[in-house]
Amino acid sequence: MKFKSRFSFSGFLILLILGICLAAPILSPYDPNAIGVADSFSGPTGKHWFGADDLGRDLLSRILYGGRITILIAMSATLIALIIGTLWGLTAGVRRGWVDEFLMRTADATMAIPQILFALVCISAVGASVISLPIVVGILLSPTTARMARSAVVTELSSDYVVAAIASGTKRSRLIISEVMPNIAPQLLVQLSINAAAAVMLEATLSFIGLGIQPPNASWGTLMLQGYAKIWNTYWFVFFPAMAVTITILAFNAYGERIRVTMDSRRSSI
Amino acid sequence: MKNALIVNNLTLSVPSSKGRVTVVDDVSFDIPAGTKVGLVGESGSGKSLTAYSLMRLIKDPVRIDKGEIYIGDREILGMSMKEFRHMRGNDISMIYQDPMSALNPIMRIGAQIIESIQLHSDVNHSQARKLAIEHLASVGIPEPDRRIDSYPFEMSGGMLQRVVIAIALSGEPKVLIADEATTALDVTTQDRVLTLIDKLAAERGLSVLLITHDLGVAAQFSDEIMVMYAGKLVERGSVNQIFSNPVHPYTKALLDSRCDYTIDVTKPINSIAGQPPRPDNRPEGCVFSPRCEHVQLQCREGVPPLISVQDRLAACFRADELFHVGMVH
Repeated sequence: MKFKSRFSFSGFLILLILGICLAAPILSPYDPNAIGVADSFSGPTGKHWFGADDLGRDLLSRILYGGRITILIAMSATLIALIIGTLWGLTAGVRRGWVDEFLMRTADATMAIPQILFALVCISAVGASVISLPIVVGILLSPTTARMARSAVVTELSSDYVVAAIASGTKRSRLIISEVMPNIAPQLLVQLSINAAAAVMLEATLSFIGLGIQPPNASWGTLMLQGYAKIWNTYWFVFFPAMAVTITILAFNAYGERIRVTMDSRRSSI
Repeated sequence: MKNALIVNNLTLSVPSSKGRVTVVDDVSFDIPAGTKVGLVGESGSGKSLTAYSLMRLIKDPVRIDKGEIYIGDREILGMSMKEFRHMRGNDISMIYQDPMSALNPIMRIGAQIIESIQLHSDVNHSQARKLAIEHLASVGIPEPDRRIDSYPFEMSGGMLQRVVIAIALSGEPKVLIADEATTALDVTTQDRVLTLIDKLAAERGLSVLLITHDLGVAAQFSDEIMVMYAGKLVERGSVNQIFSNPVHPYTKALLDSRCDYTIDVTKPINSIAGQPPRPDNRPEGCVFSPRCEHVQLQCREGVPPLISVQDRLAACFRADELFHVGMVH
């Protein structure tokens, strides 16, 4: 499968979500924390498009502002995972031998711990904040990134042009920076996208079980948690934040897939 | 004549279920300065491993057990990797089977040549670029000042192999190893690339080791030919000696199994009975003895040394005798 145009719907959607979250103060019709008891439990109406919660806070505004927190946490977590994971995998792939064994078995061991359990312990120890959440989520996502980076590095290092570069006397540091890194960048980009989706999911999950951003601020996960209690009476409490999470995750995953396919078709068309 | 390259008793092994087995067995040869030597042999005969040893590209699990390699008058196996890195490209270079994969797919070819030039000499970027264009012109790339900004996927295999040659020669090495350098190219391109290497070698006084399984290529290109079988060097001589007058039964059998339309189309093509021995199952005595039609008891008991027979080198107890009784044709 090959894409004719450079336009990607998923990429457009990601930009749109990022744009909307960034512009939340301009776009949201109300202060997200403004209480208006008269509108408590209001369903979706012309006044409150997505309805209002038990304290009469406008859900649309809360979702827009919540998105900022969710996206911020997801993006920082993704970045942390990318940096830790790449260095981790790169070291293993370049050094090989016992260093490789040690690092990769550590990755296996980390992945064997249930993610939620790991997050639960860390967050309970240090408390949930916009600093601790990205770090914990980032650490949780880094072993998969490390595995991916390692296998990409090992593949590149054994390719003919790297051997050719070694044979012409290139230094190892130079080899990694100018030969290996640019060639594994597309794979890292795919992983970045998958990680972003996973980070949104993890943040939502942690917030949903009460380990996320604390009230009165809210991320999408926190909004879902609040709505979940009243799901039988006021479905929109949980429906709209859940849709936001779903659409965002889908967009990131689709974008990752798009890059992967584009990259594959390029490789095979050479 | 002074030797550009000397290999003494090179022995390589790989691990197997039966312990380490020897894949290149006590190979010794030299390449006089300015000479083109072809190294021929079947797949698995150890010719590529021999070439990789010369560049010190042998990696675990393959290991060099024994041997010395002199490039010029410096022994390379004993020196540190750091020291040897400066010899790569400057004293010895290599070109590869598949030019498509020997170049970084996402870097412009110019950048790759410039990188190599700057690695070997102290010039700034614009000087290096000028040199790169000259190098491209010297390997026969049309419009080098425009092609320098091409990506590898924009060029044909033959052109890419020229680029690889330009890179290999950018450090002005004395020895060039061509590892199946024309195998991936079609026949007409193959011929042009060989002619180019030939021309460049003559201009620069390069010594070339051409590794190939194609006897025709070796004959067209080389001054001398070495034949390898099952990790052993079995015969070495001039192109003429090897092709019209081989003394080793393996060389003879190899030549008989060629398809040669120019001589006699009705002549059946012979094949050598049996299979080359696996490295972990090499026979006692001469490695070729199980498949040799001239085998005698002594061939199964002792390993024939590579000695001078009829003005060339051959590793066969019966070489002299077979030469005289006219094994040939």
